[in-house]
Amino acid sequence: MHSQSILALTLGLAWLLLSSAAAVTLPKGILKLDGRPAPPLVLQNMDGERWDLSESRGHWVLVHFWATWCGPCRKEMPTLQAILPQLDPKKMELAIINTAESEDTVFSFLAAVAPDIVPLMDTDGQVTERWQPRGLPASFFVDPDGRLRYLALGGRPWDTPPYLNFIKGLANQ
Amino acid sequence: MNTTRLMVLIWIVLLSWGTAGCNAQENQSQGAQDAPRSAAKSENKPNLRYEDDTLSVRIVMRTPDQLTAFYLGRGFNQAAIAHILETCFITPIVHNKTFDVLWLRLDDWRFTRGDTPIPRLKRDYWPAHWTDAGLPLAHQATFGWTLLPEERDLRPDEGAGGSVVIPRQDRPFTLTMRFHTGADKQGPVKTVVFEDLQCTANPS
Repeated sequence: MHSQSILALTLGLAWLLLSSAAAVTLPKGILKLDGRPAPPLVLQNMDGERWDLSESRGHWVLVHFWATWCGPCRKEMPTLQAILPQLDPKKMELAIINTAESEDTVFSFLAAVAPDIVPLMDTDGQVTERWQPRGLPASFFVDPDGRLRYLALGGRPWDTPPYLNFIKGLANQ
Repeated sequence: MNTTRLMVLIWIVLLSWGTAGCNAQENQSQGAQDAPRSAAKSENKPNLRYEDDTLSVRIVMRTPDQLTAFYLGRGFNQAAIAHILETCFITPIVHNKTFDVLWLRLDDWRFTRGDTPIPRLKRDYWPAHWTDAGLPLAHQATFGWTLLPEERDLRPDEGAGGSVVIPRQDRPFTLTMRFHTGADKQGPVKTVVFEDLQCTANPS
């Protein structure tokens, strides 16, 4: 009886330790944020349609800032294109925001590497300033309540299993 | 398998898990060093790279032609580019190789020639010049993103690259970079020195 109690205690402790470790395991370069409310984000996309983050409550949003002159952004963009068809926009929406470039510049780049992405245009760069990313590119994960939950440092290979599983895991919460 | 053997097996797995974390801590403490390290020169050319267990730094010196091509390509007007060419752009790319925070803080860096400091042109240097040049807000924003941040708590494996600007120099100078470590900046200070840097001219 005594040894059975110790076994139960050991198993319980093992389960607690392993499950808590798994809960905080994030892909490389993903930071957990403090859950403060996301700054306002209202922009027009390249087709002229208005998009407002506050209307995306109830599902996750990946808010991504980039520019064509930034090398890591150029490398990362095809990986965002690759995951786009694998995500249900009702669970995980992508808001791809170009920082302060012209439509011609953005169109000529995206047409070649990410034709399905319709970016939001931060034409004067002021929305990006308000979000204060740590640099370009930057990807924030906004939860269904409109709070900042995770930040990806720099460019990440979103189409590889650790990152894709992370995104799908959030979407299916 | 009896109960005792099963418990022993579980504890071995748990202890192995803990040991992996300890190794990471060891690497962290090995990475921090106090003594200033110079990027060694070779054949009278300044070494523009430095790397150890703590960090790597690569420096790119931009020529006037490179600066002109980059900013002209982003739609900057000639007046703005003229202001840029009055200065000297040094572009360090810093990568944190520790398992802790490495502080990139430009006020901890010094540009000098001998004992004479060379003042850095900070972000507040530019707005008056942009107004003078009539540079649109969008281009001002783009310019801001091409500069290194004034301060950044570089997380493990995080890098940052961008330009630091000083007045144009016609003689070599030294850049001394100091990096605090640890989330509270209380870890060892890392110092890296780049000597004989020169503002690059266009190739003739």
